[in-house]
Parts: sequence; C-alpha cells; structure tokens
Amino acid sequence: MSTPTAVSPSEGTPAIGTWLLSNPHVRMFQTLVRREFWEHRSLWMTPLVVSVLLLLCALLTHGALQIDASDSAEWLDPQIKSIVFALAQWGLTVPFYLAMMLVLSFYLLDCLYGERRDRSILFWKSLPVGDGMTVAAKVFTGCVIVPFGTFAIALVTDLLFTLIWDLRAVLGRTPELVVWDTVAFIKTQALMFFGLVISILWYAPYVGCFVLASAWVRRNVLMWVTLIPLLAVIVERIAFGTYYIYNLMVYRSGGIWTSLHLEGIFLKALTGVGQAAVISIPSVYDRVHIAPAFANIDLWLGVIFAGACFFAAARIRRYRDDT
Amino acid sequence: MTPIIEARGLRKAYRTTCALEDVSFTIGRGRIVGLIGPNGAGKTTALKAMLGLTRFEGDLRVLGLDPRSQRDALMRDVSFIADVAVLPRWLRVGQALELVAGVHTRFNRARAMEFLHRTDISLRSRVRELSKGMVTQLHLALILAIDARLLVLDEPTLGLDLLYRRQFYDTLLNDYFDKERTIVVTTHQVEEIENLFTDVIFIKRGRLVLDSSVEGIAERYVQLTVTPENLEKARALQPFYEREVFGRIVMIFDGRTSSELASLGELRTPSIADLFVAKMESA
Repeated sequence: MSTPTAVSPSEGTPAIGTWLLSNPHVRMFQTLVRREFWEHRSLWMTPLVVSVLLLLCALLTHGALQIDASDSAEWLDPQIKSIVFALAQWGLTVPFYLAMMLVLSFYLLDCLYGERRDRSILFWKSLPVGDGMTVAAKVFTGCVIVPFGTFAIALVTDLLFTLIWDLRAVLGRTPELVVWDTVAFIKTQALMFFGLVISILWYAPYVGCFVLASAWVRRNVLMWVTLIPLLAVIVERIAFGTYYIYNLMVYRSGGIWTSLHLEGIFLKALTGVGQAAVISIPSVYDRVHIAPAFANIDLWLGVIFAGACFFAAARIRRYRDDT
Repeated sequence: MTPIIEARGLRKAYRTTCALEDVSFTIGRGRIVGLIGPNGAGKTTALKAMLGLTRFEGDLRVLGLDPRSQRDALMRDVSFIADVAVLPRWLRVGQALELVAGVHTRFNRARAMEFLHRTDISLRSRVRELSKGMVTQLHLALILAIDARLLVLDEPTLGLDLLYRRQFYDTLLNDYFDKERTIVVTTHQVEEIENLFTDVIFIKRGRLVLDSSVEGIAERYVQLTVTPENLEKARALQPFYEREVFGRIVMIFDGRTSSELASLGELRTPSIADLFVAKMESA
C-alpha cells in the first residue's frame, strides 16, 4: 500500500492549474470572456482613459490649491494631511465608477441584442457554445471582470497619482498636502472594495433586467428599459393613486446604503479643519458595519431575481435567430 | 447504417403561413444534398429545424440527436454557414482563429492558417474591412479546419462573383468532402453546382416534391425533344411538363422507359435545373 492518499498543497496547486488550462469548458468560458473585450472595447479602454487623464492632471496641474496663511498650520497638521490623503484616494476613484456605470449600462443592454442586430447570432450559434454559457460569460464580464478590473486600475492610478504628487511636492512645485499613510490607504481601499461588492449584489436586479431586455426586445432596447418603468409609474399613479413601483425603484437605487445608516456614519466621521469640515474616510471604515449589509434579505432576494432574469435570457436566446 | 438526418412529418407554421407541411426525408452519410426550392418554400426553415434554431412539430434526428433538446451536443459535430454576411464585423481574422480554437475541440488551427495563406487575407484585418468574397473565404477557412460530420450551407455564395463561387465549391470538394462527411446545401444557383450533388430534395410551398439521388433521377425521369409529327403520340404518354424551346416541344416524363419514348424524338436525362423548373411549374 504505497499509494499516497493525500496530495500535499505543493502538488495540488499545479494540478489545479493544469486542469483549468486543459478543461475545455474553462477554456471556452475564458475565450468567450475575451471575446466580450474584443467586441466592446470601451469596457477596457474607458478605465484606462480615465486613468491617463487623472495622471496627466497630476503631472500638469499647477499648485492650484491656494491655502490661506491663517489656516496653513492646521492644513499642515500630519493628522489632517492623512485625512486629506484618504479623501484624495477616495475622490480619485469617483470618475472611474461613474464612467464604469455608464459603460456597463450600454454594454449590458447591447450584449444579447447586438448579435441579432448584425445577424452574427447565426455565426455564434454555429459554434458548440450553449446559451447558458454565452449568457454566463457576458454576466461574468459585466459583474465581475469589469468592476474588479476597474477597482484594480483605480487602485494603481491612486498609487501613481500619489507618487507623482509627492515627487512634485518634494521638488517644491505643489503644496505638501499629501503624505503617505499606509493604514489610511488600506482602510480606504478596503472600504471601497466592500462598497463595490455590496453594489454589485444590490444592483444585480438592474443588471438582470438589462440582460433580459437585451435578449428579449426586438429593437431599441434603451427605449424599452426607460419607457416601460416610466409608463408603469405613471399608469399606477393614475389608476390606483399609489407609488409602489416608484418607491421600489427608489429603494433599489439607494436602499442598501440607507440600511447601513451611512449618513450618520459620515456625519460622525466629519473632522473640523478650520471653518470647513472634512470627512475622514478611514474613520468611516472604523464605524461602518459591513456584515449587516450581507445579512440584508432584500440584497439576496435581488440576487435571486437577477439569477432568474439571466436564466430567462438564456432560455429566450435558445430560439432567437436573425429574424 | 444509421442515417445522418432522419425527418418524419416535419411541420412548422408561422402566424400566417405554413413553412413546412408533413416533410419527411432521410440523408445518408457521405452525401452532398441540394435542398432546392423557390424563395419562401421552406428551405431555410428546414435547415433551421435541423440546426435546432427553430421550434417545429414532428420527428427529427440529426446524427442520432434531437436538435431541440440536444443542440449543444449536436453542434460539436455540425458546422454551418448561414450566408456570407454573418461573421461579426468587428472581429479580426486572428481573433476569429483564436475564438474558434478556444470553443471548438475539433478545430485545427494550422489547417485554417494553411488555407488563409492561399488568400490575400491578413490576420490583422477586421471582417468589416474585407470584401464579401474574402469574408466567405475566411468563413470557409474556419469551417474547413473543423472536423465535423455534417456541414450545412444556406445560400453560402449569395452575392459573390463567379470566381469566388467556383473557388468556394472547388475547395469544398477537394479539401473538405470525403465519404465520412455529409453536406446539405440550399441554393438558388442550381445550374452552377448541380454536378456537385449526389442527392436532391425539391421543396415547394412547404411540401416535398422530390427526394431522389442523382442516379435515381436518371432512372426515373426522361426528357424528350419531340419531333413535330409525334407530338400527339408523346402527349398520350402523359408528360408532366411541357414547354416550347426555339419552336420545338420539350417534355419531361416520370416513370417512362427509354424504349417507350425513343421513337418519338431525342432523349436525354433532364438536368437538375430543368427538372426543378418542371416540378415547380407543374401542378
């Protein structure tokens, strides 16, 4: 009985790697995801363009922050500097996520519609790829690769931006506002990472509706996803005098953040700087409770709803052709 | 030997029209079958049924599988070209190779490359930059490199010039077809490729009007160019089709022997194109 029964981790890891590379389903899925980035170049170009623009700003702006001499002592306080540093880290990611939301909306609306518009669905369907696999690759691209890819690009941009800014400060060309603070950096990034995960799960029903519309609608997908909810709200108001649909949509837009009581946390995290008040992002991280967000039943109901939409989209695509 | 395709009582109705009405046929291995019919006859519907792209009633087995419930498994052994325009326009040639290699276990990239090298197509080009003929060459290169058992072509050379059309079918015959593979083609350009077929299926308003091997046609149908004095005698033998060509009467008979007709004029086997016209215009 010399056959080893347990595989040591060092032997196990390459085996998984080889399995992943040689498994035809994994290879197919990987190819399908790459295909999404070939077709929708805006998915990867947008965050890169935002990154380049921000870095150009870091390189080319003059010391535009004019600091009042009377406040300068407070501004140059190391603790305040660290708060400003974290705030800058956070602020720099905002353009990334705004751009991502826009690009992803158009991507999701087009992902199962474009192939019917240009008739290439007949080519895609000539390949041995199931509808479930096709939809899964698109959803994975939109819900995992793009958001976390954007997070990674934003993080690298943050680092480069800080590096450039600090180098220029050393050379005396910009105010010495930013100092490196590792703890603040990690807390800020962690906060944004959790925010991103919660956003993906909370907004999944929107993703589900968009993908479903993309598979279902014969033409003009954008009109359907905007006009139908609008009409539903108006009809409900006129027919029943109620606002359930409207309230549901509002809740689905910001509800999770309300349940986290973020406003209160932000208020508590305000730090006085002179006459102004600045939010300390690391302090938001210390106060916020991430776990209850994942215990929110509505979050998971939304995820289940989105899953049902994806399933329906795959079923609809089954008999969709170029007509 | 199990047939490659076996259809029994296929029926497909759209809202206003009936695209297929009780269609039954069998296609064996190693055949090149022409599925021929006028526009709107139901050819494309029949192909889409075989490929599991449309719902239908009746029994249909392709490679022993039901295209409705086993489409994913079926597509590992079936290739198809819908028509020249369906390769995605944003796709680069190199990406097309990578894509098919990534999703198809039976794709031989080297073979596709070998074929592409014979053309003017660059790997960097996007489909939208290629001419219609080049897009077909690219699609053909991808298909030739897939080791499939059934190839379905729906008007694959529509809108191409004669050179590309000729080259397309020559390549298909010389570099692809063998006794293990089966090809089903729909086309309007019957005259051009009728020598290619081993079998033909004529379809008219959703119904099958002929399902025969090419040898079977020669055995069953006779075309007679009647000498004027024998006109009445010939008509008495009930040709199913008659037309006047340069002042002479040409008739096509179903099931008459050459010995019955030899004395009435000049005999030959009707071409597939002539037989098609005869079948479509009669009854």
